[in-house]
Amino acid sequence: MSPATGARILLVDDEPAIVRAVRANLGSRGFRVDVAESGREALERVELHPDLILLDLGLPDLDGLDLIRTLRGRGRAPIIVLSARGAERDKVRALDLGADDYLTKPFGVEELLARIRVALRHTLRSATDEPVFRARGLTVDIEHRRVTVDGEELHLTPTEYALLTALVRHADRVVTDAMLLHEVWGPEYGDEDHYLHVYVARLRKKLERDPQKPRYIATEPGIGYRLLTEEA
Amino acid sequence: MLGPMGRLAPLREYAAALAAAALVSVVIGAIEARTHVANISMLYLVAVLGAATRLGRGPAIVASITSFLAFNWFFVEPTHTLSVGDPQEWFALVLFLVTALITSQLAADQRDRAREAADRARDASLMFEIARVLGEPDLDVALAAVTESLRKGLDVAGVMVELDDDTRAHRTSAGDVKALERPDIGALAAWIPSARSATGARARWIRVLSPHGSSSSSTRDERVQAVPLQTEGRRIGTLALVRPSPRPRSADDRILTAVATQLAGAIERSRLRQRATDAEILRRADELKSALLGAVSHDLRTPLASIVASAGSLRQTDVQWTAAERESFLSDIESEARRLSRIVSNLLDLSRMESGTLHPDRSWYDLAALIDDVVGRLRPLTQGHRVEVRVPEDLPPVSLDYVEIDQVLSNLLENATRHTRPGTAIVISAAIDGPEVIVEVSDDGPGVPKDALDRVFEPFFRGSSGGSPRGTGLGLAVARGLVEAHGGRISVRNRPEGGAVFRFTLPLEHAARARAAATRS
Repeated sequence: MSPATGARILLVDDEPAIVRAVRANLGSRGFRVDVAESGREALERVELHPDLILLDLGLPDLDGLDLIRTLRGRGRAPIIVLSARGAERDKVRALDLGADDYLTKPFGVEELLARIRVALRHTLRSATDEPVFRARGLTVDIEHRRVTVDGEELHLTPTEYALLTALVRHADRVVTDAMLLHEVWGPEYGDEDHYLHVYVARLRKKLERDPQKPRYIATEPGIGYRLLTEEA
Repeated sequence: MLGPMGRLAPLREYAAALAAAALVSVVIGAIEARTHVANISMLYLVAVLGAATRLGRGPAIVASITSFLAFNWFFVEPTHTLSVGDPQEWFALVLFLVTALITSQLAADQRDRAREAADRARDASLMFEIARVLGEPDLDVALAAVTESLRKGLDVAGVMVELDDDTRAHRTSAGDVKALERPDIGALAAWIPSARSATGARARWIRVLSPHGSSSSSTRDERVQAVPLQTEGRRIGTLALVRPSPRPRSADDRILTAVATQLAGAIERSRLRQRATDAEILRRADELKSALLGAVSHDLRTPLASIVASAGSLRQTDVQWTAAERESFLSDIESEARRLSRIVSNLLDLSRMESGTLHPDRSWYDLAALIDDVVGRLRPLTQGHRVEVRVPEDLPPVSLDYVEIDQVLSNLLENATRHTRPGTAIVISAAIDGPEVIVEVSDDGPGVPKDALDRVFEPFFRGSSGGSPRGTGLGLAVARGLVEAHGGRISVRNRPEGGAVFRFTLPLEHAARARAAATRS
């Protein structure tokens, strides 16, 4: 599990203590860390083509959501949003605007490293789309439309299968309700948004052995869901 | 001649009066062909009476005159002329005409009175209906009901109430109000006190065209009738209605005026109530602030003190800490900081609740999945306890804000672990009870002291026993606020065999609809 050594990370945050801690932790693991303390600075530093952007939504000069929109227009580097608890709606909007993941402040170092790892891995993997997805006993064979858990085949409804493949496409990254709805029902979903969670719950019932310790589908309260490929 | 309503009956009614007279002529002709009956002309009175009671004054007069002429033409010698041979016949004919006219007017009077009585009865029941729906505390609901009752009661195409608010016009309507969809509907209505209005006995309203409107035909919509809503001489809105055709009935003026007065009063009362509620919210916010200050000084200081002490110890250069000691300082710093974070979250929730800015972001969820998620997530906290989940398989989806109900359940579970000994059981159960779902968290602990049962949900309340360390005094208050924001209730009771049972409910109002939609898709 060695990180992509030398990956350039742009940290956009104006809190000195956070900047210090993140810089020290990431630096000691071989990442090159750039820091921008304002939105304006972030727009300058993004010209250096970072491999990943850590973005605090509460900046002194620019609205964090506007900044995401601008950054997305400048490149595909994954963006991980840092934000306080209780700002779930902002996080969802950030994700729907194109941010790749989020971390709720206060967060631990392990959490931060895990998110960075997943985001970087995804930029590499998205090019090579394998027809069979495998993770800890779960296989999703897109070609043959077969899903198995520990070798046992599951019988999923078309909706459940579509939900699962949507989650697989974003494996290890958070998927918001709106993203799921869009991917499963297309841009003109109707009543489904009311029942999305009920469908996901049914899918989980078929997938998970111990519902209190979900191995594959984790709920991100107020945000959406995440398909886990590694032991939490 | 004009009827009392100030309008001509349509041609159809006159035609019916003519037809009635013609029919009687045919009947008389048939009888006359067989035998002679004295004063057979009286048969025409049947047609006249029928026209008077069924069709009104005008048609009755037409029926009288037509009968007079027809009898003269067909049955009075010489027939097929209007001249009369026998002067006695003349007298009888004129007598017939006078009788017919008087009878018709008497019958028409009777008809008008009956109609007026019916109108009054309708008005009375409409007024009663409106008074009843205005009793509804939510003004928007009340206005919607009033417009609908008026539309039905007055049998008009559409009714609209527009409130002139400080910021924007607020409209409530029923039926087809396209004719009213213009920005300045209020300009259509004006209050003109009549000579007697000073005594309050009578007032009338008139239509006033908008300032630039007299030339434009669209503003002169004869189907539209509008009346202002006023309290204490101040205009607060407009009541307007659209009729199916441009024929106003003056009888409606009375009821419209009465409804306008009633409506204005109800609106004013509702606004006063709102102001009183605002004041109450301010007062409670103030109380909360002082409680908050108290809590900040105590609850926040304790973890801060231990963080400062641990960090300070680690910085000491004259002491050689063992690895285990260093680890314990570090883990203290981390756990106390997390505890601070929880307290701040709860404080934030509480302040949002008290300021009334908490609006659950609802969606349909599988409650069993939510309970499983919470139990799974809190496993590190509940390690020492046996946590059991009892949820029936057929629990319908519940409409809720996931984050908020997650927090309610987490707080209840945290509370249970805090007040019970390790190794005891905590049971989380859910069940349907009529229109709501009940969720219970029960433990095997000492239960809640009797004097504290009513107060555990108050912010910053902590049990007097002192045996509950690490309580913030906020978790249960937050739980109550969140449950109530969902339209549910939360309560606690002690089981006779020991242990406390915290229970909250969530309404299932639209469960049936959800099920129907879920099976459809």
